[in-house]
Amino acid sequence: MKRKVALFVPCFVDQVLPQVAIDTLTVLRRVGCDVVFPEDQTCCGQPGFNTGHWEAALPCAERFVRVFSGYDCIVCPSGSCTSMVRSHYPELLASSPLRQDAIDVGQRVFEFSEFLVRVAGVSDVGASFPHSVAYHPACHATRELGIYAEPMQLLRAVRHIDLRPLPNESECCGFGGMFSAKFGMISAAMGDTKAVNLEQSGAEFVTAIDPSCLMHLSGVFGATRRKLKTIYLAGILANTAAGAAAKGASR
Amino acid sequence: MSAASQEFLRKAIIKSADLDHRALIQKGMLSYDLAVAKGKLRFADWEAARNRCSAVKAEGIANLAKYLTEFEQRVIERGGHVHWAENAGQANEYVVNLARARNVKTVVKSKSMVTEEIHLASALEKIGITVWETDLGEFIVQLRNEPPYHIVTPAMHLSRRQIADLFRDKLGEDVKDADPVRLVAAARVALRRAFFSAEMGISGANFLVADSGMVAISTNEGNGRLTTSIPRIHVVVTGIEKVIPRLSDLAALWPVLATSGTGQPITTYSTLIRGPRAAGESDGPEEFHVVLVDNGRTELLANPETEEVLQCIRCGACLNICPIFRQVGGHTYGTTYPGPIGSIYTPRTAGLSEWGHLSYACSLCTACKGVCPVKIDLPKQLLITRRDFIATGNVKPAEHAGFAGFRWASADAGRFQMLGWVGRKALAVVRALGLSGTVLDPMRVWTKYRSPIALPKQSFREWWRKNGNK
Amino acid sequence: METSNSSARENILARIRKANARPRSAPAPEVPLDAIFPPIPDPRRRFLDECAGNMTEIFLSVGAAGSAEALETILATVPPGEIYVQDDPELLALVAALGPWRKARLSSEGAPAESTQASLTLAHAFVAQTGSILTSSACGGRGASIVPPCHIVFGRGHQILPDISSALARVQNKITGASYAGLITGSSRTADIEKILVQGAHGPRRLAVILEG
Repeated sequence: MKRKVALFVPCFVDQVLPQVAIDTLTVLRRVGCDVVFPEDQTCCGQPGFNTGHWEAALPCAERFVRVFSGYDCIVCPSGSCTSMVRSHYPELLASSPLRQDAIDVGQRVFEFSEFLVRVAGVSDVGASFPHSVAYHPACHATRELGIYAEPMQLLRAVRHIDLRPLPNESECCGFGGMFSAKFGMISAAMGDTKAVNLEQSGAEFVTAIDPSCLMHLSGVFGATRRKLKTIYLAGILANTAAGAAAKGASR
Repeated sequence: MSAASQEFLRKAIIKSADLDHRALIQKGMLSYDLAVAKGKLRFADWEAARNRCSAVKAEGIANLAKYLTEFEQRVIERGGHVHWAENAGQANEYVVNLARARNVKTVVKSKSMVTEEIHLASALEKIGITVWETDLGEFIVQLRNEPPYHIVTPAMHLSRRQIADLFRDKLGEDVKDADPVRLVAAARVALRRAFFSAEMGISGANFLVADSGMVAISTNEGNGRLTTSIPRIHVVVTGIEKVIPRLSDLAALWPVLATSGTGQPITTYSTLIRGPRAAGESDGPEEFHVVLVDNGRTELLANPETEEVLQCIRCGACLNICPIFRQVGGHTYGTTYPGPIGSIYTPRTAGLSEWGHLSYACSLCTACKGVCPVKIDLPKQLLITRRDFIATGNVKPAEHAGFAGFRWASADAGRFQMLGWVGRKALAVVRALGLSGTVLDPMRVWTKYRSPIALPKQSFREWWRKNGNK
Repeated sequence: METSNSSARENILARIRKANARPRSAPAPEVPLDAIFPPIPDPRRRFLDECAGNMTEIFLSVGAAGSAEALETILATVPPGEIYVQDDPELLALVAALGPWRKARLSSEGAPAESTQASLTLAHAFVAQTGSILTSSACGGRGASIVPPCHIVFGRGHQILPDISSALARVQNKITGASYAGLITGSSRTADIEKILVQGAHGPRRLAVILEG
């Protein structure tokens, strides 16, 4: 009996980093999920909420609750978007008639690695990735959702992987959504600090369960001409053949 | 954009690019992190300690009128004076008038962030009184004519070399090799002269204890002790929120404050002052005054959402963990209180329009929430400050239009996809024309500091339409 | 000078009272201190270990002669000059055993001079948890424990209390007359210069305890 899963694809992943969602889909299917993509979804409302535009974010959030109301199991390849729904919808929709539904959907949405390990009970997805990789524990996922052990378990089960500890791993990479635009100079400096730590780790790749962090870091690496590469977790897990070129990696 | 906001950006640009500054702060924070990790091991249950301290401070705030008046009564019973100041002007007026009436020529001050907040030193200097900051870090920045860099370690941005040069210029003391031991000795000599000639000592308060009418003052250097022992007048300037119900509450608060502040088990001189010298005592001030300062604190109290901000015990832990503080440092904020707590406190007490930008100088990493010893939900406070900033009409027209547009676009999946497609095509054109990074590049805020994102050929939903069900 | 100014006071209290009157949820049950701090089965051992860690010099003695000898040892490395002594018969007896070359000024004569080289006082108690001394203005005044570069405390082993909580109870219940009370933990120090720990900022750079019995 295949587990039915609805894919919640963050708006920026949909429009800018589609490979993240494609790799997520690949891995979910490999572990036996019947995956659907509710095409009516747009955005969870996080950009508006985080910048104080709660009035603009509210209809987004209410729409999300309605679009996903029929699904028991929703998987999202982003810690921050998952946290928006689980941690912040109760506050944002406090006065909405959909308040209880919002609380409920928060219990039914899972970050990708959290889903694999805790719901599907899987840590070995048959992946192979013969490269050195450092894991960057993205802030919302780690601190708001308490997700850390799960991605580490998944990574340790990857064949031929060389996992490197990351110095000062829990320090923010500097993306922070609109922060990266409003205070770009500080955001870039934080990214640079993270890059220095990554270089110290000796890893070729940095991975995370938040593709927004990786998108930002990739930009920082490019601007500072660093050889480091980013790859979303599902990008690693989607690789099965040993020695195959790393798909889904970005410069 | 407010003037303060422009100034913040200007300084942030400079500091973000200053790699020497970054290295200095990182070094300081590393030693702090190690000390605190070690300090926490002394607790059987650090989380339990946080819970207890949070509850005690919350109890004090929830019953503030009761505990403040209880404190006041006990101080008066012991021969002290209590003065209530609604704002900086009233607080400064009281101290200035007192100093004038008592012929005070010299004042020694131990650390008090409230006195920074109200600019007490300059009010006293205006009437010709010499004010000596006696906390070594405060003394150093005072000599440099700059504000403190950090609420606990005011001079952490300076090297020993810089301090030695400063002492040579300002004190006429030439310290060989900028040796920290000799630098401290030079400061001790200079400040001893001040302690023994000052007519008035001004201190802050870490806690005001209601059930015993005591003022708790903690210092490592002992400057708080000398300030409150030698001069004949002792004035305490304190925020009203410092009150706690019972003396026994310090059994948890003292170790927790010291651990979060510096990683120490307890601050070296944990002092309790009950009033002026009592009958039969051989020394001590003849007069004791407590100035209770509101200056916007009752605003925070009036709003049930922001009341918890008053629980702050000014330990500095949130500043130390904040990755933004670690990049830009304490002077960039332009406020008395920097870091996460300052980015909430300042807009709420000194004006949302002028200072609301500080609440955005945060990546919402939420590290501060985990270290606050009194469990203030700092990330939530930052978010609601942003919410209120927008609600009071401070948003730039372009941003307002952007979010209205986004709201419209996300109301329909087809619309969303179409606008996304248009955006990608437009960006591709901008890049093809070599206009990336120019004024015509809509992603300029990105490309100013990062290499451009590779644009996908199709969105995920387009891919799904074609391949999803295979 | 008014002791409290009515209109500002009333304005502030009115605002506070309005906020305090809001309905609130019941506070969480109190977290007990013994859930927070580990037990201290051997307070004396703990006190000695903590003092070793915070740079308090400990001199153990078994009787009056040993204590007098300890005092001489400590003062041997204190530069010549006056010492300030809390006016107490036990301390006066200790000081009497010193040679006439050490002048003692008593606390009953007034505040310590800035040039005082050392002070000798009693303490109300010692605190094992943090290796602290509990003093007050009843122990020779306020200046005695902070003005001289060397502060010597004379006390007995039975004065060791387990923790800060018991020290605070002592302040609240027994030290009610003193205008100053406090815990002193080690010597004066600062880390304000490059976070390097330096002893002897404004307070004493030496804190020594003669612990008899």
